[in-house]
Amino acid sequence: MGSVTRRQLTNLLGALSLVAALGGLAFGLPALDHALPAERSVPVDRPYDIGGGVTVMPPPGARVDVTETRPTETSGTVLFRLGPVRYFISVQPFDGDLRAAVERLRQRITGTSGYQVTGTELTVATAGGLAGLQGGYSGPGRGGRYAVFVADGHTIEVTVSGADLDLGRTLPAIDASTRTLRSAPEPAR
Amino acid sequence: MTAEPRLRSARSAPVQPGSPPDLGVLRLPGFWIVVAVLAVGAVRMSMIAGQFAAAYPIALLTAAALFALLAVPFWFVVSELDFLEREPLGLRVLAFCWGGLVATAVSIPASAALDDVIAKLGSPHLAADWGAALAGPTVEEIAKTLGVVAIVLVARAQVNSVLDGVVYGALVGLGFQIVEDIVYAMGAVALAGRGDHVEPVITTFLLRGFLSGVWSHTLFGALAGAGIGYLVVRCERTLRTRIGVAMLGVLGAWASHVLWNSPLLRDGLGNGAIALLVVLVLKGLPPLLLIWLLVRSAHDREADYYAEQLAALDDPELITPAEVEALKSGSRRASARWHARVQAGFRARAAVRRLQRAQARLAVELSRGTEDLGRWCREVRRQRRILNRLGHPEAVVPEGKGPWRRTASAVFSTALAVAVLWAAVSTLGGG
Repeated sequence: MGSVTRRQLTNLLGALSLVAALGGLAFGLPALDHALPAERSVPVDRPYDIGGGVTVMPPPGARVDVTETRPTETSGTVLFRLGPVRYFISVQPFDGDLRAAVERLRQRITGTSGYQVTGTELTVATAGGLAGLQGGYSGPGRGGRYAVFVADGHTIEVTVSGADLDLGRTLPAIDASTRTLRSAPEPAR
Repeated sequence: MTAEPRLRSARSAPVQPGSPPDLGVLRLPGFWIVVAVLAVGAVRMSMIAGQFAAAYPIALLTAAALFALLAVPFWFVVSELDFLEREPLGLRVLAFCWGGLVATAVSIPASAALDDVIAKLGSPHLAADWGAALAGPTVEEIAKTLGVVAIVLVARAQVNSVLDGVVYGALVGLGFQIVEDIVYAMGAVALAGRGDHVEPVITTFLLRGFLSGVWSHTLFGALAGAGIGYLVVRCERTLRTRIGVAMLGVLGAWASHVLWNSPLLRDGLGNGAIALLVVLVLKGLPPLLLIWLLVRSAHDREADYYAEQLAALDDPELITPAEVEALKSGSRRASARWHARVQAGFRARAAVRRLQRAQARLAVELSRGTEDLGRWCREVRRQRRILNRLGHPEAVVPEGKGPWRRTASAVFSTALAVAVLWAAVSTLGGG
């Protein structure tokens, strides 16, 4: 067996540095992300701007998860957490009708492995006059509720998920919050 | 008294052609580590592809086919950048695979994490507006640049000019671009919520392939690769200078990427197709011009060096002085091929191309100090005989400013490209 040459040693050190840099990106950044708190308190006495001109009154006790909250002028998402329950609202530009918007969300739910839509769909309306459809779904160890509205060229998708016991406790407050959804048309540009 | 003129290559960037790759690479630990990293990246990306294939098989196949087709012209253009000393195929494939398998596998979780960190340390508004402009470029440009570093670790001797760094960097960027585009297309399919449909794939192809394709990762990777090439090649400079230039290259790639992803000019020029085209040009043209100047400068230096090697042969059967001049630039090589086609048909054009390739290879072997040049000389002479038989003995550029039909063809091609771009913009609702 030959001895290790200086060139091989340098090469090995270079390659290990390369792997370390890759590891820093692939594992270091996610570790830093996990180390920082994601939730922030949110005032529940004034409308929260989701994006795309849509607002909602957060339910009492909710905290915003900033990792899934991205408000922009034309669209937006917000994730409220009420303990273990996720209350997610997504606003996206959309040029179809309510039925198409509901079908789109249902496809996405059932497209996730282990998830299925349950029960029948019911009509739902907000205090501001938005008409929508809502239904339920279930996944591994979780139950969920969805609601869809279409307003001013946007689809507003609401999904709530958590363990059945937690859902039962928080759904009344979340339903009350959903009824406060309002859409203001974007100003003409 | 006049000073003896010195070649640009001798003045600034000495060309140091390395020996052809051999099995000695197997004795380098870096080679096996790079192979292992590629294998891990391949497994990770296969798992992601498997998930897409299970949910949207037709859309995935369509996306893979469309973007693979898009990669072909990019591959050939990038490979041809260093006509005189083409990079070994194995290393070009390695660069492409690093971009497509390793850089993507690392960037997917790392970019998302950095985007979240921006939201946590700043605000969701900041992340929504600038997350894509800051997180993506920061992670992706580092991951891609490491691909050029991997090439240096595996085959240091093959990175012997700044242009080599440009080529490897561009190929890493190309691999990244193609796989990222496929992932984006599948994301669009999932978001559309219409099942296994191909419309979102087509839209993504038009948007990311045509509108963003020219000035995307291939370009950013080339900039960073130029920096690494400089670091490796310019040994006569101080280490501090070389590291500074390398960092400048990576920073240039990062800044170009940030500008491209940034919300700047998003709403500033209106909503029409023209406004969108102007924004694309304003954001994409600076790095495109920068890399064009870099490539041209690096290519000219290399061409000077190899032309001197060939001129010293003083054998008109191998290469004439006019052919040396033609060989030195891409446009003159193309003009010589065009001239051969006009004078003696397509077979002459093909023969000129083979002759130029053989002359370039001969120049590289001369530079390497190869003792037995018989094989390379025979190939040049064989092509010369073919050209003699076809009545076009010399692969030269015609006198004057150049063939007007070639200029017209270039103008027509540009107009066609703009028309395709326009159609893509209009299809996507820009008009």
